[in-house]
Amino acid sequence: MSGLAGAVLFVVLAPVAGGLLVGADRVVTARMQGRVGPPLLQPFYDVGKLLEKEARQVNPVAEPLLLGHLAFMALTGALVLGGVDLLFTVFVFALAALCLVLAAGSVASPFSHAGAERELIVLLATEPFFILMLAAVCKVTGASTFAGVLASPVAVAEELPGVLLAFLFVATVKLRKSPFDIAASHHPHQELVSGLTSDMSGRLLAYVHLAHWYETALLAVFVVLFFNRSVPLGLAVFLLAYAVEILVDNSTSRAKWELVLRSSWAVTLLFSGGNVLAVFLLGR
Amino acid sequence: MSFFRRSPWILHYDGSSCNGCDIEVLACLTPLYDVERFGVVNTGNPKHADILLVTGSVNERNVEIVENLYRQMPDPKVVVAVGACACSGGIFARAYNVQGGIDRVVPVDVYVPGCAARPERIIDGVVQGIAALEGKRAAMAAGRRRGALRPQSGSQPAGAA
Amino acid sequence: MAAATAGPGSLLPALTVFLVAFPLLAGVVLLFTTAPSVRNVIVVGASTVVALASVAAAVAFGNGADVFYGLPGDASPQTAIFIAEVAIALFVIGIGLHYRRFLAPALALAQLAIAIWLQVGGHEPAPDPSRLFWFDRLAMVLVLIVGIIGPLICIHALGYMRDYQRSYPLIRGRRTAFFFLLFLFLSSMFGLVLSNDLPLMLVFWEITTLCSFLLIGYTRTPETIGYAFRALNMNLLGGLGFSIAIVLLSGRPGGLDLARLTAQPAGAVLLPAIALLALAGLTKSAQMPFSSWLIGAMYAPTPTSALLHSSTMVKAGVFLLLRLAPAMAGTEVGTLVAFVGLLTFLFVSLVAVTEQNTKKVLAYSTIANLGLIAGCAGIATPQTVWVGVMIVVFHAVAKSLLFLVVGTLENRLYTKDMEHFDGLLSRMRRVSILALTGIAGMFVAPFGIVIAKWSAIRAFIEVPGWEGAACLLIMAFGSALTIFYWGKMLLKVLSTRAVDPGERALEERVSGFEWFSETAHAAGVVGVAALVGVISERVVGPYALGAFHAAPRTFLDVSPAMLVVLLASVLFLPALGFWAWRRRDYDQADFYASGRQAGADRVVGAALGGTREITLRNYYLEGVVDGGLVFRVGTAVCALVLAAMVVVPAVVRA
Repeated sequence: MSGLAGAVLFVVLAPVAGGLLVGADRVVTARMQGRVGPPLLQPFYDVGKLLEKEARQVNPVAEPLLLGHLAFMALTGALVLGGVDLLFTVFVFALAALCLVLAAGSVASPFSHAGAERELIVLLATEPFFILMLAAVCKVTGASTFAGVLASPVAVAEELPGVLLAFLFVATVKLRKSPFDIAASHHPHQELVSGLTSDMSGRLLAYVHLAHWYETALLAVFVVLFFNRSVPLGLAVFLLAYAVEILVDNSTSRAKWELVLRSSWAVTLLFSGGNVLAVFLLGR
Repeated sequence: MSFFRRSPWILHYDGSSCNGCDIEVLACLTPLYDVERFGVVNTGNPKHADILLVTGSVNERNVEIVENLYRQMPDPKVVVAVGACACSGGIFARAYNVQGGIDRVVPVDVYVPGCAARPERIIDGVVQGIAALEGKRAAMAAGRRRGALRPQSGSQPAGAA
Repeated sequence: MAAATAGPGSLLPALTVFLVAFPLLAGVVLLFTTAPSVRNVIVVGASTVVALASVAAAVAFGNGADVFYGLPGDASPQTAIFIAEVAIALFVIGIGLHYRRFLAPALALAQLAIAIWLQVGGHEPAPDPSRLFWFDRLAMVLVLIVGIIGPLICIHALGYMRDYQRSYPLIRGRRTAFFFLLFLFLSSMFGLVLSNDLPLMLVFWEITTLCSFLLIGYTRTPETIGYAFRALNMNLLGGLGFSIAIVLLSGRPGGLDLARLTAQPAGAVLLPAIALLALAGLTKSAQMPFSSWLIGAMYAPTPTSALLHSSTMVKAGVFLLLRLAPAMAGTEVGTLVAFVGLLTFLFVSLVAVTEQNTKKVLAYSTIANLGLIAGCAGIATPQTVWVGVMIVVFHAVAKSLLFLVVGTLENRLYTKDMEHFDGLLSRMRRVSILALTGIAGMFVAPFGIVIAKWSAIRAFIEVPGWEGAACLLIMAFGSALTIFYWGKMLLKVLSTRAVDPGERALEERVSGFEWFSETAHAAGVVGVAALVGVISERVVGPYALGAFHAAPRTFLDVSPAMLVVLLASVLFLPALGFWAWRRRDYDQADFYASGRQAGADRVVGAALGGTREITLRNYYLEGVVDGGLVFRVGTAVCALVLAAMVVVPAVVRA
């Protein structure tokens, strides 16, 4: 698969896959609660409706920033699959997240602002891990691109089990799943309302949903990096991990931001840091 | 095709009431009724909502809040008044601080009677609300095609009220 | 190293003398110019001449092989150097005794004793008169930074100081001294970056220290005098290290020739001297444990912070470290310098997230970036040195712009507190967009620093052993912290709110000097971002190749697509910004406040009637990060590493 084809494929297919996954998430969540739940395609109906609805603009910067959020999130995945240096993509990934923070924080609402600040903390909590993860993958495979990692004879997961464990933890934070849903909530909560998205309406909110689908698909691509010997295995592991995330999401209540930050850093430092240290000391 | 039929998001507001209807509204979300089957989400945020579902009556203090929340909902939007109090003021109608039903403040599209309203009736009211929503969406789309401004149903800028 | 002597037709000797002498002359004239209108003309004129001369020097160099040269007529500066050293020492002793602070005089006395021993005792070998100066690509980069950004800041200062004097009417008369010091500084900075003879470089080094000292203490309040002496003490300590290094090197033929000294990895014999020079570099660039002087230096008028304490003088420290990089390669000193730098990067970034004073956040960020450069210099591979020089370039432009913008804000809003910049995009739109450009230039993806950071991570992957893992961990956490504190500042700069006409008028009183300077800086930030490929391939890459005899793997070698992405992003963000600028279809008062918003922006109904205004504040990680504690721990840790750096080579030698 050439780089350009991979990039185009991601931009086109990632929202479909991400949307289906979010739909499945809602169905599984409902079943866990003894309900039937919405149709599998519900996320697509929601976004379709949001695009039809009026968008109330609270300030001039929110919409451009949200478009930036969506564009850079799609770009991150396109760059990964397009064969651009993996380590470089992490900066575009961070820029995408930052656009969302700025869009939410530019509003006077205390709920949006609290969501923005907390999303910034989520960024602070997860960014070290992603840099470390991609650096470690590049280190053990000696490759610098997605295709290079897939072509590498080294089985990444065997070399980086600690990093993989930490990934499962950090992904929960990044996907804003409970107990780490500090920045935004799918359900009404008095202290946060909808957090980040409190003041977004119509197509603005649709951009956020779309970007979230891209982000979910991107995390799947990252899991595939660990299982570079077999892409289907990687995707299977991602789906399994996502199922565990749903279970955790349904059985925990929201933590404070201090806990989110401390625990993410501790996990990053202990599991991935320890793993990376071992890799360097063993001289691979 | 319109997606409004498949994705009505609700903002639930409780005015002066005994909370009986609120319990029934919440019952709609439980496994027994599970309105999420129809794509209904209880958003808790007017900017995300399509349907303002009000229980309880309007009093001197909450009148401005009901107005505010309704105004902040993006078009198209409908209001469903649930229970006797929301429809007419109900048992509180003659209290010194109560102004009456919710239609004193915002245009109501669907009235759901009952004290308390039963979950089946509430769901039925929401379904009727969806039909009204669809009508408003079609009108809005037609208006947009004609190049007119968005419908003036309470969406004037804040401060004008 | 490709060493060529300047041909007889070369303009470089004359231009070097001009670059050192002309700003000095302009400074002296300004010292006696009291009329503001005359001063304006002189400063603008002299700034233009300096900028043109520095560009001329770069053109004369022609981006070719290294050039070594002396003064016209091969005059020997040895006596002049000695006189200057004595004068500097006497000045420090005098001013120290006047303020009853004795550490600085003691350090100056020690340096004086060394100078006398070397000179009068005849222990210092006479410098080669044809190799006093060294013009190569690194020097060219620094000359252009000093020669273009420096004059722009001087022009900015014309506007800034006018308003500053209104705030501090008692010190009105010292403005002449202020501009004298700025131009004296430019003069010595040119000398510093072009010197090849170490004693000559030391003289310029100490003059910049003095300029910094006098400018920090500009208002002469007890507080600023304290900070000025702290800066003086620490920099003199570095200067003393420099002097001792000269003593250690003076016994060797050609030992004081910087180019020869650094041409190859230092053996055990040279290592103690290299360590002491590195110590000087680390103090000058305010690395921990010496970071506190730069934080104190933020009390100086803001153009000083832009010129001395972010874009140029502190760069002299890392400039020296980058020069020493080939000699430090693969040695214990190199590793320890790298760790001082990288640990400083991590610790001060952590402190910066707890800081609310914008100037101090900028200062911490400066120290952090310098730490990253020092780390790259210490690791000393072609790749890391490439990164170091790239950061020098991008940081100089962007950070200078940010300081100038904060200076403008400070004179309009009477505060440096980040929280008070709320709604900046509505209140001061032009300033806000300039600030946005600067902040974006510091850490957002399309701009050059991101390329440098990416390249640093790439280089750290190749570092073997636990050091590589440690570098990566520091880089990962440090980068995340960087995003956090800049993100918070962006939240304030980008926030909008309804404003009254009085607030709109704030921008109208900003002087034309400030607009010109800041706009030119912003153009520079965008320019270096757009030219990142050219800077890398034509200047910095060849420099690293020359210094290490091995080419760095730059981003263009790895994936040219990155350049396309970068350039596209550079266009994408302004396009979005332009769209935002033009739109009018929004209602500022329509924010969500549980149905209690009161019809105006940021106003909500109060619990017992009436209305209240909403205040929004950033998170400073209270309860998780204790900035003061982190600073102390970082200082202690780095002090230990630094002690090891100075002691280990001496022990190895013994």
